[in-house]
Amino acid sequence: MREKVIGFQLKQIAVLTAILFFSFSCRKRGCMDPNALNTDPNAEIADNSSCSYGEFDKPEMLSNVCDNYILPAYQEFNNKNIALHQEALSFSTNPSLEGLTAVKSSWVAALISWQKVSFLDFGPADYYTLKNQVNIYPIDTNTIQNNISFGTYDLNLASNNDAKGYQALDFLLHLPGTNEENLVDYFNNNTNATSYLLDLTENLMLLSQNVYDEWVNVYCSNFKSNNNSNAQGSPISNVVNGLCSYYETYIRKGKFGLPLGVFNSFTQEEMPHLVECYYYGQSLPFAKAAIEGMSDFINGVHFDTPENRLGLDDYMDFVGATHGSNTLSTAINNQLETIITKIDALNDPLSNEILTNKPSVEDAYTELQKLVPYLKVDMTSALGVLITYQDNDGD
Amino acid sequence: MMAIRKWLVNLTFSEKSIAPLVVFRVLFGIMMMLSTLRFISKGWVEELYIQPTYFFTYLGFDWVKPFDVMGMYILFSVLIASCVFISLGFLYRISTVVFFICFTYIELIDKTNYLNHYYFISLVGFLLIFLPANKSFSLDTYFKFTSKKKYVPAWTLHIIMFQLAVVYVFAGIAKLNYHWLFEAQPLINWLKHQTDLPVIGPLMKFEFTAYLFSWGGALFDLTIPFLLLNSRFRIPGYLLVVLFHGLTAVMFPIGVFPYVMIISTLIFFPESFHEKIIRSLRILFKTKNKKEVSSTPIKEGNKKNIQASLIALYIVVQMFVPMRYLLYDGDLFWTEQGYRFSWRVMLIEKVGYAQFFVHDPTTDNKKLINNRTYLTPQQEKMMATQPDMILQFAHHLRDTFKDTIIMENNGQRIKISEPKITAEVYVSLFNKGSRLFIDSDVNLSKIHRGFHDKDWILKNEN
Repeated sequence: MREKVIGFQLKQIAVLTAILFFSFSCRKRGCMDPNALNTDPNAEIADNSSCSYGEFDKPEMLSNVCDNYILPAYQEFNNKNIALHQEALSFSTNPSLEGLTAVKSSWVAALISWQKVSFLDFGPADYYTLKNQVNIYPIDTNTIQNNISFGTYDLNLASNNDAKGYQALDFLLHLPGTNEENLVDYFNNNTNATSYLLDLTENLMLLSQNVYDEWVNVYCSNFKSNNNSNAQGSPISNVVNGLCSYYETYIRKGKFGLPLGVFNSFTQEEMPHLVECYYYGQSLPFAKAAIEGMSDFINGVHFDTPENRLGLDDYMDFVGATHGSNTLSTAINNQLETIITKIDALNDPLSNEILTNKPSVEDAYTELQKLVPYLKVDMTSALGVLITYQDNDGD
Repeated sequence: MMAIRKWLVNLTFSEKSIAPLVVFRVLFGIMMMLSTLRFISKGWVEELYIQPTYFFTYLGFDWVKPFDVMGMYILFSVLIASCVFISLGFLYRISTVVFFICFTYIELIDKTNYLNHYYFISLVGFLLIFLPANKSFSLDTYFKFTSKKKYVPAWTLHIIMFQLAVVYVFAGIAKLNYHWLFEAQPLINWLKHQTDLPVIGPLMKFEFTAYLFSWGGALFDLTIPFLLLNSRFRIPGYLLVVLFHGLTAVMFPIGVFPYVMIISTLIFFPESFHEKIIRSLRILFKTKNKKEVSSTPIKEGNKKNIQASLIALYIVVQMFVPMRYLLYDGDLFWTEQGYRFSWRVMLIEKVGYAQFFVHDPTTDNKKLINNRTYLTPQQEKMMATQPDMILQFAHHLRDTFKDTIIMENNGQRIKISEPKITAEVYVSLFNKGSRLFIDSDVNLSKIHRGFHDKDWILKNEN
């Protein structure tokens, strides 16, 4: 009690002193964020740390994010992989040009659905090492061809991670040096190849099923009942750590930085064969889907509808995080939009664009790079999440 | 003048009961033993001293290196043994020296792990070497290794109280800044993550609460030593100590620090209180208090003067070190020049992100460094906001790439003799937006380590 009484008087003193202090400065400081409750129309200097926002309910945010993004996104991921396997099944019984086209388009749809969940790199996805099993590239074409010619392999071995998943399918469905008719013939005459194709799609289907089931049956309810602030292992900490590291390593670096040569030692020579879907020759739609998915997720937007409810953006607003004269959430959204614009300015095949129109790809990479500190520094700081895998004494 | 002199002499050399010192010794030993066991059980010995391949040493202590696994565990075992011995008052002088050396050595290995409370423990360990805390209720007196004393010179108690007061008062002074008082930073952000606390959780969303905690915390730190010194306010003061540290223990991941303070501040209680504790312990252990030998009067003259001067020197150093930041230009929280060893506890919210580039000066080609190749996540995190560590890591990269031949993926060979090192670092302080932290063109390999002003740190304009 004693502390409260003293503290209460101090608060009065603090306010009085603050009023005195500010009355001496002539330009009015105030909240200039139009999304805030107390936007000050007379303010001349943005002091957005004084902005206040509506009630923020963390459990409500976790529920929204889980029920309206994560679960439907994983469900879609699972459905698209089931569809892909179905198409592969009917193609394998009677390989035809139409069948091949159907497999290819369901492969694209499944890979797009993966992009929308790829950055949820924690919990069940982490447990099943999903990202290493479904979309590793560059793939090892030798292993794939050996697996096919021997006909014996165990796709559950980590050593086969770069011989399976969407990128192995990319190779099989766009086999270099074959046109569509040749490819149909190839599958017609090579039962090993057909069963490898089936095993790949089945593997994807089972993995997506496992992760989706885990979310529905167990993980979602743990996720929503957040009782340990934002410490390690809490939902917020898991979400933010997964999002940051996935974006940094697999989107910024994997989809653009590596093929562009940014990480290629001193010469930084381009490595165009490292793009996603190298054989398909279309990389940008997948990159864009991943960024758009991240954007929806951060903003608490529903997976199936444009309805926008509580998300990480509202959480950042609640704690009053700013960047320059903007709120942090606005700054992040602006940067995500800039990235989309820069990606839209590029042309597929990305592997070719890197060689012929390098400055534009570098432009896009620069913007992708700019988002890293926004997420890793500003967002983690705002949400009180430690970017580390270790508990410490702290002080 | 005479009155002040008399007061000082009294404060230093008057006779006081040994009981508070003895209780402090026993509890400190137990506390340190438990905290070291906790440290080991969390796997931190391996995580912090075995796994890293590079260590951020302190200037002047570059010779401090971790041992191998076996060696580190032996070091920690010796540390635990010294804690037990201190508590029992067994081979006290040797044990305190061993404790101080082991503990401080471990802390000096890597500044990544710097914590104010570790520094506090090192200082207390150092002081204990010179305090006659084994002159009663100890194995040393039981085995007659040392004489028994009922009274000790007052400074031996007061120096511990002084040390505790330094922690609180300087922590309080550090809070008297614009951000803490008028923006309630960093609490205004931190508390908003605490809305799920029991009972007080719902209060955490109000900015009022952050101001209350900020001002309350500063006032607590500034006044608590004086409340504890005053017999009238001691009990409520101590209740505040328990409340304050209890609250911080619940709210923040700060390990054993709150408990260390709750236990240590017992030394402010009167002699009778500590004598009672010892009496109950004697009953518990069924030891008899044999005749107390009254203390030998402290020799007058030279020895006293030397003692007094050394105590004065210690006090001056303790007052100077936390204020040394005034010798540097710039925003302390941004540059952190003179930040450590100053009782700045939970004062800033700062996060950084650093990318290092090794340049081949002959071709101007540069390589982007993956920090994780050289650093643990924790080291990388601490380094990214602290300029002296950024510089150290740059020097480590310089030394790693100096006079090397790199085989490129395309078969090209690159010979590097004198690499240039630059870093692009973004830091956010108090959630006001990440911004460039240091001059990203400056060649860090040519910058010398030292206490001189780091003019390559950019200004914080937020």
